[in-house]
Amino acid sequence: MRGRVLWRAVALALFLAFMLVPLLATVLFSVSTRWDRTIWPEGFTLRWWQAVTARSAFQDTLLNSLAVAAATVAVSVALVTPTAYWAHLRVPRAKPWIEFLAIVPFGLPGVVLALGLIRFYSGVPLPLINRPAILVAAYVVLTLPFMYRPLVNALEAVDARTLTEAAQSLGAGSWQTLLRAILPNILPGVVNGSLLVFSTVFAEFTLANLLIGTRFKTFPIYLVEFTRFDARQASALAVISFVVAWLASVLIIWLAGRGDRPRETLAAR
Amino acid sequence: MSLQRRIRRSAWLVLAPFFVFGLAFEIIPVLTLVRSSFSGEGGWTLANFGRAFTPAMVNSFRNSLQLSATTALLGVVGGTVVGYAIVTARSRFVRDALTALADVTANFGGAPLAFAFIVTLGSTGVVTLLLKAAGVSLYPSFRIYSVSGLTIAYVYFQLPLMILLIVPALLGLRREWREAATNLGATRAQYWLRVALPILAPSLLGSFLLLFANAFGAYATAWTLTGPDVNLVTVQIAALVRGEVQLDPALADALALVSLGVMAVCVLGYRWLATRPWRAVP
Repeated sequence: MRGRVLWRAVALALFLAFMLVPLLATVLFSVSTRWDRTIWPEGFTLRWWQAVTARSAFQDTLLNSLAVAAATVAVSVALVTPTAYWAHLRVPRAKPWIEFLAIVPFGLPGVVLALGLIRFYSGVPLPLINRPAILVAAYVVLTLPFMYRPLVNALEAVDARTLTEAAQSLGAGSWQTLLRAILPNILPGVVNGSLLVFSTVFAEFTLANLLIGTRFKTFPIYLVEFTRFDARQASALAVISFVVAWLASVLIIWLAGRGDRPRETLAAR
Repeated sequence: MSLQRRIRRSAWLVLAPFFVFGLAFEIIPVLTLVRSSFSGEGGWTLANFGRAFTPAMVNSFRNSLQLSATTALLGVVGGTVVGYAIVTARSRFVRDALTALADVTANFGGAPLAFAFIVTLGSTGVVTLLLKAAGVSLYPSFRIYSVSGLTIAYVYFQLPLMILLIVPALLGLRREWREAATNLGATRAQYWLRVALPILAPSLLGSFLLLFANAFGAYATAWTLTGPDVNLVTVQIAALVRGEVQLDPALADALALVSLGVMAVCVLGYRWLATRPWRAVP
């Protein structure tokens, strides 16, 4: 009996150490005066944080990343929500096709998507290549699974058909039904998907690097440049990235916890 | 045309923007690569694939396949052990906190993760210094900027992903099965080998495929950590995209298509295993 408790404690402790040590080390490194000769930092300072956040490039790249992430979320919500709702309710035969488009990105490496987009759009007279617009389009594709899945789950959970019939018997049109009756009810799914999309796009490096490169620098590109010449200031940037990803996950977990109650009542019914 | 059919047609029309978008930015770019990698001066050809397999490219495939298989295997084994420890933990707080940790860290990756490992296991990294003080020198036999360093960094995102994938399957293992096995005189090893693992097998295999694809398509972590030093398929394709190497479009496209094939096998295999109805007992 004691042996069984012991292996579990060892497994969990090793897991915890492996996952947390790199994060804590990065945080501590970013506020250390010097930490390359001794086993504990020689002193603490906020100098690296002040230096890196004072740069105009820091603010520019942060704003660029926030803008691209927000634009991707906006396009994705506007594109996927009506589609998922309409297919769920009116055109079930379209579902496998939508599902297919939402699964392909799992098997599409960033480098391959970038190559395909460049190959096709450099031969087409559209103002897309080397513009932030193509980056947003690529991100919408990349994050399609993250937006579609939670939406479908939410639609299946709220009985969209009854809601729609109720709204329409009261005289609501299709768009009115979607915006005033369905959307408020599937909002947890929309928010969940949006947060996943946002945090993925905010941290994405490959497509940003290959599709636009230095013309429109995003935060991860700035971070990678810094790792090559100033480790301390790079560590502050890495901490910011971790905090953004962490905040998004915590919000998702918190929302899921709140969402438990209505699901329980549904199951009880 | 009947009225009903006209209504059905117009119902499809609402979906048009989504499908147009998917075609334009997802399907057509891939088809462009397919067409270009199969076409030569005299029409359809396989010559591009022949040229794609230079020693450097073959080497990059070997490295990518090896790295993906190693980290997927480490992820599957480690994630299953830790996942089992989580679901059988007595304290609810421990279960919730560790699942949340897996949830959060599964989203970490790319440049910040690579950098965190430089700080931790680089030549003057925190753990490197600690081990040195304890009398263990990692360097020069180990380098974080190498395949073994990449393996450790990849396991960091494979492990939590595996935990998230396998926990539902582990929760499906009924206590009664174990009790029945014990009552029939089975040892713990026999229970695992003859009962639990066969039930978990489809989930384990499916997760392995997904983890494999996850590693095979990864680029940002490898690029930040090792730059062009470790020769991976994604690093090669990215170099061709940026035009760092003599530009041979058909060659890059052929390379991309082969890696797409590897990814497709993994994702389709995963889907097949995940959606197939499995009988627990034959």
